[in-house]
Amino acid sequence: MVFVQQTYDAIVIGAGPGGSAFARVAARGGLDVLVIDKRKELGSPVRCGEGIGAHWEGRLKLPLHGGAIAAKIDGARCFAPNGKSLKIQNAETKGFVLERKIFDKYLAIEAARAGARLLPKTIVEDLVKDGGKIVGVKARSFDNEVLEFKAPLVVSAEGMEAQIARQAGFADAVAGLYDTDTCFEYEMANVECEPLIEIWFTNKFAKRGYVWVFPKARDVANVGVGIGGDLNQHPKERLDAFLKAHPERFKNAEIIEVKAGNIWVGAPLKEMTKDNFMVIGTAAHQVDPIHGGGMALAMEAGEIAAEVAVRAVKEKNFSKKFLSEYEARWRAAEEGKLLKRLKLRKALELFSDEDFDRVFELLGEKDLERVLDGDFKPVVSKVLVKRPGLLKVLKALV
Amino acid sequence: MAVDITKSKCVYCGGCVAACPVAALTLYETRVVCDEAKCVSCGTCVRACPMQAIELKKK
Repeated sequence: MVFVQQTYDAIVIGAGPGGSAFARVAARGGLDVLVIDKRKELGSPVRCGEGIGAHWEGRLKLPLHGGAIAAKIDGARCFAPNGKSLKIQNAETKGFVLERKIFDKYLAIEAARAGARLLPKTIVEDLVKDGGKIVGVKARSFDNEVLEFKAPLVVSAEGMEAQIARQAGFADAVAGLYDTDTCFEYEMANVECEPLIEIWFTNKFAKRGYVWVFPKARDVANVGVGIGGDLNQHPKERLDAFLKAHPERFKNAEIIEVKAGNIWVGAPLKEMTKDNFMVIGTAAHQVDPIHGGGMALAMEAGEIAAEVAVRAVKEKNFSKKFLSEYEARWRAAEEGKLLKRLKLRKALELFSDEDFDRVFELLGEKDLERVLDGDFKPVVSKVLVKRPGLLKVLKALV
Repeated sequence: MAVDITKSKCVYCGGCVAACPVAALTLYETRVVCDEAKCVSCGTCVRACPMQAIELKKK
């Protein structure tokens, strides 16, 4: 933003996929929108495996930009600890691995083209209130100036940190360790890849999470590990051990980028709106509890929230009651599936490596698809007929 | 009360900020700052850090 203006219809904190989606749709709907991001380079540092499902392309209002797509993915391959694998190829596992540094900038550019104002390298430090009512934000610019911006609506798209959302009273926007995976990832060259997302179930290297190989080219991949956050394990050390345990695959691999971060794998926030305030994306814990993906969910939330915001401005109604239409629509679209995935995550946490090996012996590729779709019962029955001893770990699913 | 962050280990991912139950930590680009007045030395950030870059400061 070159020309500073003090008053807006909406102020968005965070120019990730969710914040930029909100800004683009709201600006296109005629709103005066300001996006503030604390980083000097949007999209960086990357804290993400960068995968996204192809089915989102039709559901979201913006096509994924060709230049932001590193590789096209035809499906997923899931590995049991003993190395046995199952391939899943369906609408959900087809997708892309993105280059987030390009993708996030592209989304911000599209928001700017739609008329949104952008203020990077500026950190929102406080909410501005008037008689208890949220009326704007106080931010510190890169000239170390304290700036005050007014708007009847503030949107937190802050990602995991969610500091202003917490200030606004969303006390559960904190990332408790049991529902967080701590992650470490290398982007590596000289790793031969099929055009498949690889998910490795393994307690040895990724207890309560998984090891992933997400191809970015025929011979380049994000290779990472996510581990239950309360386990006091060191994800870097586990990833290094995994690589050493698979010398055939990784002996020529060279690290070209180091990425780390934590991701929420619990339930979405109980409440996502208050008077004059909305929370979208990872800040609202809108993340898939199985794979930890949040980009598409955040963009969908941003688009829905922006549509509601456009009407809120028309009707001059920024009450929680009015804004909560966003929350209701987002929950109707996504929450049922995410809560089933959470149940599955909690069941998988109880699996020993031997349990994984046994279940993989009994499952076909269609069975795994069904489980991921939340259709647990037929698959659980099939497993229990052969291995009744697994009832203790599977009972949560029936 | 406060924490020590080893800068050579930190990759400024903000994982500690997200986990801090009293919102004492803030990430400024490549720098995590602890508000000593808010910190209760609970050690949650130490456990949350994927880089093992944080230790509780000895008094």
